[in-house]
Amino acid sequence: MTDSKVTPASVAVRVERLSFRYPGGPDVLTDISFTIAPGEIIGLVGPSGAGKSTLLQHLNGLLPSKLSDTSTNVISIDGVPVSQPTISEVRRRVGFLFQDPDDQLFCPTVFEDVAFGPLNLGLTNDDARQRVCDSLASVGLAGYEPRSTLRLSLGERKRVCLAGVFACQPSVLALDEPFSSLDPRARRTLIGILKQFSGSQIIATHDLDVVVDLCHRVLLLDGGQLRAAGPTADILGNAALMERHGLEVPWRLRR
Amino acid sequence: MCHRWPPFAKLFAAIAMILAATCVPITHGPLVGIVACVIFFAHTLARIPLAYVGRRLLFFWPTLFLMAISLPLSQAGQKGWLLFVTILVRGTLSFSTALWLVNVMPFDQLLATLRRLRVPDVLLAILSLMYRFLFVLWDELDRMRIARSARLFRKPSLWETWRSAAHLVGRLLIRALDRADRIHGAMLSRGWDGRSRWIEQLREDRP
Repeated sequence: MTDSKVTPASVAVRVERLSFRYPGGPDVLTDISFTIAPGEIIGLVGPSGAGKSTLLQHLNGLLPSKLSDTSTNVISIDGVPVSQPTISEVRRRVGFLFQDPDDQLFCPTVFEDVAFGPLNLGLTNDDARQRVCDSLASVGLAGYEPRSTLRLSLGERKRVCLAGVFACQPSVLALDEPFSSLDPRARRTLIGILKQFSGSQIIATHDLDVVVDLCHRVLLLDGGQLRAAGPTADILGNAALMERHGLEVPWRLRR
Repeated sequence: MCHRWPPFAKLFAAIAMILAATCVPITHGPLVGIVACVIFFAHTLARIPLAYVGRRLLFFWPTLFLMAISLPLSQAGQKGWLLFVTILVRGTLSFSTALWLVNVMPFDQLLATLRRLRVPDVLLAILSLMYRFLFVLWDELDRMRIARSARLFRKPSLWETWRSAAHLVGRLLIRALDRADRIHGAMLSRGWDGRSRWIEQLREDRP
């Protein structure tokens, strides 16, 4: 579980020397480089304000707000550089789950919301309907199509969001705090769903127990810099390193 | 019983009532009375309690009053006051009709009907998003209000109430703008390119 399967030939996500600052602000990200192999699950950990969300938003070109026209090749997804001409291709490949499901569920019914991505991909109504059906089934919410997005529990809303992401059939999932404020059952359900997903995943979270359970490797981000990267047990089990960056060794790795 | 009318009938009935309310001159007392009676009758048919309409009107009247009061102040004599009464009466009747419409017609049915009438998709998208996030904003406002009153250990004076309400509205605006940003990001993430396909394609044949 801890071996990294990175080979130069097959890289799902490549980030090379990424730096970012908001106009007029201090550096939010400084000189970050890493790769993710196909099928690999990466935990992105670090204290609040470390730049985790900012980093994730770079993966599908939501940041920087003005993408360069010519690919500078700082980030590439499945070999496709993240740049203005390729942006729709990149966003098709990267599925993004936002922290607050209310930001992502903007249609009146579950059906319309999950169908939003497929329709934008240019699928016909019938194909879109099939995708909606399949992806709702894969998150365990089959039959939820006519439900109003207003009348769902938080766990259900997160799963509908995930169904909307799955419906675009991405090869990489970028998840921003997917487990925050979930009760244990909803959290377990979500972990189970993520384990079923066959593509790569990068999960920004404070829930280190989930990281131990789910992730092959960990990236530790603090102050906008990549402080450590490696197999989950090596990083999260290193008490001195964790303490230095305001984190705790999860219970399952103690002793 | 209005609830089961065909969607078009409901929409056209509402439009007709609003047109009637806004076209009849206020000086023709009996005509205005007839229009008012028709609207009242429509509410009774739909079994909408009068108290419900009244409570909504109580919120609406101050705004309407502020809009109308400028007229007698700027126009001398009887004409100004006549305009003032006109605006009050027409506003009240139109507002009641709109209340009737949203009560007999589920919102997505209203959107579907408007779409079939070829109302531009941009407007429909705005309506749809507004309806979706009105409740989210309302919850947010509620949380802020509770948080505020939890730290206010006495009954606030009227001045304090208004002042804190103004603060809340300001905060809410900033939060709403932030949220709009994130929603936009979420739409882009799923391949949105400015066309409202989810409205274009799906209204006719949903499950």
